[in-house]
Amino acid sequence: MEFATMMELLLSGLAFTVQIFLVTLVGSLPLGVLVAFGRMSRFKPIALVTRFYISVMRGTPLMLQLMALMFGPYYLLGLNMGGDWKYWACSIGFIINYAAYFGEIYRGGIQSIPRGQYEAAEVLGYSKLQTFMKIVLPQVVKRILPAMSNEIITLVKDTSLAFVLGIMEMFSQAKAIAASQVSMLPYVIAGVIYWVFNFIVEIVLTRIEKKLNYYHD
Amino acid sequence: MTSEQPLVLLEHARKSFGGTPVLKDISLSVRRGEVVAVIGPSGGGKSTLLRCCTLLETLDGGRLAYGDLVVAEEDAAGRAVYAGKAALKEAKTRFGLVFQNFNLFPHYTVLKNVTDAPLHVQKRPKDEVMEHARALLAKMGLAGTEDKVPCELSGGMQQRVAIARALALDPDVLFFDEPTSALDPELTKDVLKVIRDLAAEHMTMVIVTHEMSFARDVADHIVFMDGGVIVEEGPAEQVINRPQHQRTRAFLAKYEGE
Repeated sequence: MEFATMMELLLSGLAFTVQIFLVTLVGSLPLGVLVAFGRMSRFKPIALVTRFYISVMRGTPLMLQLMALMFGPYYLLGLNMGGDWKYWACSIGFIINYAAYFGEIYRGGIQSIPRGQYEAAEVLGYSKLQTFMKIVLPQVVKRILPAMSNEIITLVKDTSLAFVLGIMEMFSQAKAIAASQVSMLPYVIAGVIYWVFNFIVEIVLTRIEKKLNYYHD
Repeated sequence: MTSEQPLVLLEHARKSFGGTPVLKDISLSVRRGEVVAVIGPSGGGKSTLLRCCTLLETLDGGRLAYGDLVVAEEDAAGRAVYAGKAALKEAKTRFGLVFQNFNLFPHYTVLKNVTDAPLHVQKRPKDEVMEHARALLAKMGLAGTEDKVPCELSGGMQQRVAIARALALDPDVLFFDEPTSALDPELTKDVLKVIRDLAAEHMTMVIVTHEMSFARDVADHIVFMDGGVIVEEGPAEQVINRPQHQRTRAFLAKYEGE
């Protein structure tokens, strides 16, 4: 196989990798907020359900969760979900898994904001929503950014787990080429591409961190 | 509002934390232009009194009113029953609070700290708010710091920003919760001077403080609290120089030579 052909295949896989990455972020970053508030809810049933959900998401392998979503509908309910189901299973699996992690990071950030900030806002007459959006949230973003960076970089690598669903993302492509060509090269190239991907992610996140460095508390 | 009506009226206030009474039948009345200093040992209930007045804590029993606006009323069983949301919101426009730890918003510039609430809570016109804020900052000796963030300022400057922030909302009465306790003695001076200037302008203030000479100089009325009760109160000079009560004398003796 020519090198150019190999690159073409790997880059077509990268397109899926990027897609999984973006879909997961778009879904789980906001869903995490809901998870954080559910976990902190004073209404006990909601707090307990959320806690259980987080525990399962963090306590079982993502690969297993993806398989369960993929085959669960058929094995448990006898439903035939059609050929595109693997993409849905992949998106849902990644989103609900990462939302659990993000939710816990958000919660840590929200709870680290000193009581005095809420009290100052309350005395000045800010509404609950204003207090959260204007006073708490911007400070939370700054505090959780290092932890979020870790998760986001892990996500780039975790996208390779989609291979168990038969989605031809970059790792699946590398694996297929390596098997057919009896070559190590596709793995090496895929590895380099993952690293470059994450290098870009690092640059972006560092830039945001720097931007928020105009104050410390 | 008649001129005789006190700006702040607290009557028979009671408050417990987990069964431990912290305020036992406290009454406090503050007239327009009056400066009241609250002194006493730590754990005597001073801060709780302030927090109840500023609605950060709810009273168990008693009555609280800001001028003609009743915030909490006692029911037949002696429990404090609070007014509705609208009344509480209105009450919050009548007082300001300066915290011991400033509690400035660290991500906002000095100017935004001072202007954000007038703009987005009171929704006052921008030009007026900006002008007022700059004038207040200048008065606090903070001209030129508008675009800095709090962490770039000394503690004393931060506390003066906090005072400007509270004043920007044009409160009737300003509460201070040990405004200089978190500051080095060096930085305390400037904050006390600002409060003295406000007193000279007849700003109504209630100040919890450990600075006895300052309390005597700046306050019209001094309240000595210990064990959740007001042990003694009266004209500043009288309470500090000729305390009637043994506990007041013992407390003040510790500060002698200050």
